[in-house]
Amino acid sequence: MAETLLWVIPLVPVVTALLMLTTSNRKLLSTIDVSSSAILAALTLLLAHEVGASGPRSLGMFRVDDLGIIFLLLLVVLTLAVSIYTVAWLKQAVEVGNMKVESLRFYFALVHAFVATIVVTILADNLGILWIAMEGTTITSAVLIGYHGHHHGLEAAWKYIIVTTIGISFGLFGTVIIYAAAAQVMGDASSMSWIAMMQVAPKLDPGIVRIGFIFVMVGYGTKAGLAPMHLWLPDAHSQAPTPISALLSGILIKCALLAIIRFQMIAAAACGVDFPQQILIVFGLASIIVAMPFILAQHDLKRLLGYSSVEHVGIIALGLGFGGAVGTYGALLHVVNHGITKAIAFMAAGTAIARFDSRNLQAIKGLLAVAPIGATLLMIAFLSLAGVPPFSIFVSELMILRAGIGQGNWVSVAIFLTMAVIIFAGLLHHAGSMVFGEPPKTASRESETRSPLIAMLLLATLMILLGLTIPTMFDGFFQRATEVVLG
Amino acid sequence: MNIEIVHAVIDDLGALLLFTMILIVGASQISRAIYAVAFQSLFIAIAGAVLAMATGNVDLWVIAGITLTVKAIALPWLLLWAIRRMDVKREVEPVIPDLATLTLAVMFVVMSFHLSASLGSVRQAISGNALPVGIALTLNGVLVMATRKTALSQMVGLFASENGIFFTAMAVTKGMPLIIEIGVILDVILAALVMTIMVLRVRSTVDADIADLDRLRG
Amino acid sequence: MTGDKPLGIVLIEMCILVILGPLVTGIIQKIKARLQNRQGAGILQPYFDLIKLLGKGTVQADTASGFFRSIPVLVLATTVAAGALVPVVQSGPPAFPLGDALMLLGLLALARFLTAVGALDAGGAFGGMGASREMTIAPLVEPVLMMVVFSTALAVGSTELGILAEQRGTSWILAWRAADFLGLAAMLVLLPAETGRIPVDNPDTHLELTMLHEGMLLEHSGPGLGCMLLASHTRQIVTLGLAAALFFPIGPVGAGVTGLLLGLCTFALKILVLAVYLALIESSYAKLRLFQVPQYLGIGFVLALMSLALRIL
Repeated sequence: MAETLLWVIPLVPVVTALLMLTTSNRKLLSTIDVSSSAILAALTLLLAHEVGASGPRSLGMFRVDDLGIIFLLLLVVLTLAVSIYTVAWLKQAVEVGNMKVESLRFYFALVHAFVATIVVTILADNLGILWIAMEGTTITSAVLIGYHGHHHGLEAAWKYIIVTTIGISFGLFGTVIIYAAAAQVMGDASSMSWIAMMQVAPKLDPGIVRIGFIFVMVGYGTKAGLAPMHLWLPDAHSQAPTPISALLSGILIKCALLAIIRFQMIAAAACGVDFPQQILIVFGLASIIVAMPFILAQHDLKRLLGYSSVEHVGIIALGLGFGGAVGTYGALLHVVNHGITKAIAFMAAGTAIARFDSRNLQAIKGLLAVAPIGATLLMIAFLSLAGVPPFSIFVSELMILRAGIGQGNWVSVAIFLTMAVIIFAGLLHHAGSMVFGEPPKTASRESETRSPLIAMLLLATLMILLGLTIPTMFDGFFQRATEVVLG
Repeated sequence: MNIEIVHAVIDDLGALLLFTMILIVGASQISRAIYAVAFQSLFIAIAGAVLAMATGNVDLWVIAGITLTVKAIALPWLLLWAIRRMDVKREVEPVIPDLATLTLAVMFVVMSFHLSASLGSVRQAISGNALPVGIALTLNGVLVMATRKTALSQMVGLFASENGIFFTAMAVTKGMPLIIEIGVILDVILAALVMTIMVLRVRSTVDADIADLDRLRG
Repeated sequence: MTGDKPLGIVLIEMCILVILGPLVTGIIQKIKARLQNRQGAGILQPYFDLIKLLGKGTVQADTASGFFRSIPVLVLATTVAAGALVPVVQSGPPAFPLGDALMLLGLLALARFLTAVGALDAGGAFGGMGASREMTIAPLVEPVLMMVVFSTALAVGSTELGILAEQRGTSWILAWRAADFLGLAAMLVLLPAETGRIPVDNPDTHLELTMLHEGMLLEHSGPGLGCMLLASHTRQIVTLGLAAALFFPIGPVGAGVTGLLLGLCTFALKILVLAVYLALIESSYAKLRLFQVPQYLGIGFVLALMSLALRIL
């Protein structure tokens, strides 16, 4: 059963993508979109149940364990929310002229191709397939980022495709080097399967693995948006169509982190846990520090969210770097929390931008007066991003902090705390100025459309729920995933 | 074939690859850089054929053939077509002086050799000096991308960079699984197509080079 | 270091170089002509030019000092002396202390310097311009040539060209390492510069914008010009001989008359190959603008540096 799901789940978005090409009716396309996402979510829940009950499964080059399930669940939740959000967003985009009716089907086909590549990235056991799927995400999402055809979008798409392609070329190089080390040990039975490599990992040559891991870290780190390879991220995330921004920030950069986690485990087994952890801490701190000034002095709402993603990816890397059960658990939880929160933030920002017809933070004022529910959701998302209890990010950040203190890594903890406090103030300032105050006369006063609100409320419920308590089922996944990562 | 001879041939091809790489870094015209990268891919295809002969690994023949058709013929042709289509007049525009770029290129080469010289056991896993040459090519490809302000030059740098990875991957004992190599090449083709379309699209709408746009700041 | 190559053979080799020098120029001109679909002058034309010049009188600028007259002789003498250091028909070190590759490069540099001094001494505008350009480019070429020599010398452990040729004569392309290929590539980039040909210089032109070497010869006339021309022919074949000794050392091994003849034949063949290379380059490239020359030579520099670095690592 679970084995069947392993090949059915990647197939669903592929078939959907092909199906999209057959029609150009907007309503029909949206229906297919939402129902396909719902099917994907249902199948994933089924798979999660199976894996939760009877452990990891593998099928050929695919394999799913508890670690993968966490990312897969995050993916399907976000895809479903984004699909629902897209219904009204698309209607508005077509009316304004941002999207052409005749090319809508290509948009949907690309989105589902994008989702398919992400699914393969998560399920891949073979490190080569992992890389191929990762490059596939770059290609599909690059087209989506430049989809509007404005030269801003194309500029961002170009920067994105060039920087990340070259970045993950390094990732491929690292993969090849580590494979070379493994092939030496495995002899005739050499394969690029991750699980097979993990079995021989303690016997690998530490020197080669070290170089390989640095390459992988730089490579997939580029895709994850870790500083100083993050240069593409604010551009791409701010120029992409809103649903794509939500997917990019919500899940794509996390998938790169998943790849890093896989290699981190090989490296930890081959040359001790300290080496990969130190590298992760350095990149994590660099990202948090680099993001801070850009968040404070930002004028563009979506760029602000992009830099916030850099910060949070840094926090996740920091959590993985601190390691231990608490740190790893916290980092994985943060993956989910940030994914959900950032998706709400991008969606709320997208509707606000459409309402005020401007992305400038100075131009968006008094959102509460014109769109009370949207404004509340935006405020909640910003509060959560800033790390305010009772929202979920507070919990995971606290765990990561706790792990850092437990490790006695005072310098990192001090830097993290300082930056978190400054960013907290910056985010609240920006959110306050957007939500409160007197709205300008030009702002649209139409009533709020239903589908974006449903999508955001769905995610917001999850976000608050995860902040208050972690359901036993999820807790089980996180516990077992932490064990997987720690070996 | 004798393993010593194979190592020697791989070493020699590695030197030729470095030579073409320096030509790419120092090229003052984009078309020359494209020809250089085509020759680089040709050498890699030859390396694949030599390794295939030496190890009797049939997959490597396929990979060598694909490298030849795709990277040595199809992609350079695509780039040259784009040049004609765009009617490029000002060509390679370096960001920093050429001699500085060349010096950096040498530093990368020396660094890669130094790095892999410090790894004694790597010589058993990867034939000849494929690892340092691969690292040097990858880094220099990035250098080309970082120091050029035209989209097509950046693509040339990208291809050179990936050539470095391919060279190392081929020389790994046993080679990479065929399916992976094919998937990787497929990705490269797709990426090249998408990039070319973007370049032409920007050229036709705002008459500027896509890599030269810099409105997004801060 | 001394070996068993007698003085006689060294002198013969020197003479061969001087005699064959103009022929190489003739051959290159002929190939170029044919590549451009022209009939071209015969390959012996440089000899006729020299003979004609030697029979003419001398005219000298009023501003030139007495030193100017001795310049052509000095230049020719230094160049020919450099020729003594190139192994032609027999490898191995000579039986008496003579000098090594560095000495050779030094003598060539000295000849270049004397030519430039002569051009400045005459006081003509073109001469001065040619000299200043030549002196701009020389510091870019010579160190690189030096690096190529060092890179090869490191492999053998001697800078004596005879020993280099002898040691490397037993190893051929399959035994080459990456450094050798890069060294050869650097050499191929440098050859046109060192022999004063396109894309760095144009030997056929007297257009003031493009002249380098030719500009410096303008003030010379009659036998003096003949000497200068012979010196540049010799310089060209010496440079080619240096490249051959460093990278194609196969051939001059045997002793005895047959060995020497065989050595001569292979030498002629190697020089011919390099001459064809120069002619092809000249026909297929345009001359670079002066400020682009450093970039072109930069490629040679980088290759040589890489070659040297790989040898040391």
